[in-house]
Amino acid sequence: MSSSKKSSDGKSSEIEEAVASLTMPFNKILLTSSDGESFEIDEAVARKFQIIAHMIEDDCAGKAIPIDNVTGDILSKIIEYAKKHVVEPDEDEDEEAKKKLDSWDAKFVEKLDLETIFKIILAANYLNFEGLLGFASQTVADYIKDKTPEEVREIFNIENDFTPEEEEAIRKENAWTFNG
Amino acid sequence: MSEFDKHVLNHNKNEKPFSQIKSSEIDSTLSLSDSLLLKILEKLPESQSNDVSLVCKRWLNLQGRRLRSLKVLDFDFVLSERLTTRFPKLTHVDLVNACMNPPVNSGILLCHKSIYFHLSSESSNWEFLEENLLHSDVIDRGLSVLSRGNCDLLKLVVINATELGLLSLAEDCSDLQELELHKCNDNLLHGIAACKNLRALRLVGSVDGLYSSSVSDIGLTFLAQGCRSLVKLELSGCEGSFDGIKAIGQCCEVLEELSICDHRMDDGWIAALSYFESLKILRISSCRKIDASPGPEKLLQSCPAMESLQLKRCCLNDKEGMRALFKVCDGATEVSIQDCWGLSDDTFSLAKAFRRVRFLSLEGCSVLTSGGLESVILHWEELESMRVVSCKSIKDSEISPALSSLFSLLKELTWRPDTRSHLSSSLEGAGIGKRGSKFFKKSVLH
Repeated sequence: MSSSKKSSDGKSSEIEEAVASLTMPFNKILLTSSDGESFEIDEAVARKFQIIAHMIEDDCAGKAIPIDNVTGDILSKIIEYAKKHVVEPDEDEDEEAKKKLDSWDAKFVEKLDLETIFKIILAANYLNFEGLLGFASQTVADYIKDKTPEEVREIFNIENDFTPEEEEAIRKENAWTFNG
Repeated sequence: MSEFDKHVLNHNKNEKPFSQIKSSEIDSTLSLSDSLLLKILEKLPESQSNDVSLVCKRWLNLQGRRLRSLKVLDFDFVLSERLTTRFPKLTHVDLVNACMNPPVNSGILLCHKSIYFHLSSESSNWEFLEENLLHSDVIDRGLSVLSRGNCDLLKLVVINATELGLLSLAEDCSDLQELELHKCNDNLLHGIAACKNLRALRLVGSVDGLYSSSVSDIGLTFLAQGCRSLVKLELSGCEGSFDGIKAIGQCCEVLEELSICDHRMDDGWIAALSYFESLKILRISSCRKIDASPGPEKLLQSCPAMESLQLKRCCLNDKEGMRALFKVCDGATEVSIQDCWGLSDDTFSLAKAFRRVRFLSLEGCSVLTSGGLESVILHWEELESMRVVSCKSIKDSEISPALSSLFSLLKELTWRPDTRSHLSSSLEGAGIGKRGSKFFKKSVLH
């Protein structure tokens, strides 16, 4: 008798959980930026940030998570991107959706200046948000593509620390090598 | 600069289409760690590497550490250790074209496969390669410098090295897996045992018109005893005979791929292939003869693991050699004959010896007729797919009912015997071949 009671208890708690997940709202996570801004986001969105996903797995996620290294303006942009990319459309199965998302991505970075993109890279790296890190890195790479060294220095304000002799030596060496 | 000029300059700066309005003049790339900056550089195409290296010293170093594979064109770059300093993580290095002195101001480029070099217009004899090749001492020194600096080397291609260079290479680069030795000789091979982890080896002995260098049974035996872990071996322009090949077969127990190119071996070498227990793929290319007297039939045993026989650009006139070759490879499941001459119906009928061919490819075999093809493939029971391209004596009109019913049973068939080979069809409009005859006619009249 007691064993059957246990098993029926086990079964009923499973059913309870299932009912609960259908009727209760999704878990919300609160993120606080370094300058005090707070953002309440769905757990599914927060899981895009691997460090938070790990905290949730290890059960130390609590209600509010401080993000000390990221300011509010950058964090809000990252959350905006994460919300759009909660579900990544499969290129083979849903071309339409992929195209739409790609054009949203393009518009997203169009408005951002380089300095913001760099801050996003640093923040995405800290939060371990692989998708945005790759996308932002590609965006920067696109700035560099097909530019001469002078143009690249111009865009990023990089100091040219070569002497003219050193630069000439490197150009010669480049001519002596063939990649591949 | 006047105030007006400065104003114009600033104004033009802001008008540049590719820069955004910058909030500060700080170099924001400095905020990125090396690994993050590397992530960005990795997304750039190969063609951009030179530009990247010229931006600043940090980018030069990062880009240099990324490079794994390189063809070097100047030997001083190696000797001065600049190569190693700039590219410390190289694993694949090709030095062949660096081992030659470039004559100054030359517009003549001679190419032979992977070797190319400039000729001076004063070359009056055919020794231009020998004359322009760096001395072996210099090359050995270069190998020593390179291996000290890049001890992660996995693959090296070099010409005119000696045993000393090879030994210093083996000492520092213990992971070396693949080696290509041009102008190789027996003395050089004496040191090959030092490269303990060698998996793939390509030896080039003599190249007609460029250089001659002797790899004989002595060298082949050094090779056999020293490189027991070899999986892939290519012998190009090498001499030797049954004894040398047998030694390799017996010692290199895991050898799976053997390529013989332009061989100068003594007759009777084919029987030695029977000793290769693990040989799966045999490639024979650019050979003027196969084996004029292969020896008694009973010495020709099948290679137990044989899967694929590939003949390319060979002269297949010696029937005895072909008979021996087909007998030794009779377990092959794939046979491919491309651009060979002399493959008559008679010679091809010897292919009945194959016991279990599943795939046959014939390309550019212009003497074989459909009758000859038919008599062989109807004999094969396991044929599944076939490819016949540019074999102009095989006429669609001569296909018998038996042959066409075989075609319908095949899983895959590519049948284009009357396609011209790509080369001749692309030359057609140019009138090449016709011009020459006109020239000769003129000179005869005079």
